[in-house]
Amino acid sequence: MFTITDSHIDFILCDLRAKGIRIDDLQNNLLDHICILAEENLEDGDDFEMFYRSNIPRFYRQQLYEIEEETLFLLKRRKCFALLSRLQFFLLLFVLLIGPIICWTIATLGGPGQKNDADAIIRACEGGFVFSLFPLVTLLVLFLTPERFDPLIPKGARILLGWRPLVEIVRP
Amino acid sequence: MTYSSELIKGTLKTIVLKLLADNKKMYGYEITQKVKELTQDRIQITEGALYPTLHALEADKLVTTQTEYIGRRVRKYYSLSAAGKTVSKEKVSEMAAFMNTMALLLDLQPKTR
Repeated sequence: MFTITDSHIDFILCDLRAKGIRIDDLQNNLLDHICILAEENLEDGDDFEMFYRSNIPRFYRQQLYEIEEETLFLLKRRKCFALLSRLQFFLLLFVLLIGPIICWTIATLGGPGQKNDADAIIRACEGGFVFSLFPLVTLLVLFLTPERFDPLIPKGARILLGWRPLVEIVRP
Repeated sequence: MTYSSELIKGTLKTIVLKLLADNKKMYGYEITQKVKELTQDRIQITEGALYPTLHALEADKLVTTQTEYIGRRVRKYYSLSAAGKTVSKEKVSEMAAFMNTMALLLDLQPKTR
């Protein structure tokens, strides 16, 4: 049976840190996992580093820090009250922008001083056009051109809504 | 035949909770091996999916942990908390009901008529 030495442990920990695993608990879990794999698959005198380098890629799809990112995402997700896709987030912003105008329109329908409902709707649309056109166009531009003008919310990002922070972008 | 990771991802929490309900305490590597053994290698839990799930379960206080030092290594054992036992039963029931529904939906069971 292969014996794990302190230098093997130092090597693994150093590599895990270099590859972006910073949570101590996660480091310890992965270290133990790799050590067991080596103990079960290697014999004394075998090349540990070669075994390590050929086996570590099976832990991830593209990069090892995906494990840390997924851990942090799951921990953050517990605290949020909504998880939105990029499209849903922009729809929410759209509704938040246009919502007050709609409410104002409904509130003014049939109110005193109105000649008729059509007048109220026309005035509301005029107000809506003036006050929300620019933000809505900005929103549309951000949504349609995510890579150049919207580096904060790239395609495939997930948006967490919570209290602290209120909005958090999880990059894909 | 092994199943796609997308298919397994949604069931991982249930799998881990059920295994911990059936075994007093387990560590990460042991969980992966147990799943391989029980499913005859058809389900292979990846390390990249298992450890984030275990951390989330711990943060949700559904599992409790014990650590054991093996030289300079730390082995972390996971076991179900009281809340975890309740959630485990709920998740297994939910999964069983879901599987029955899917069987009906996909016409995998012989019709009774």
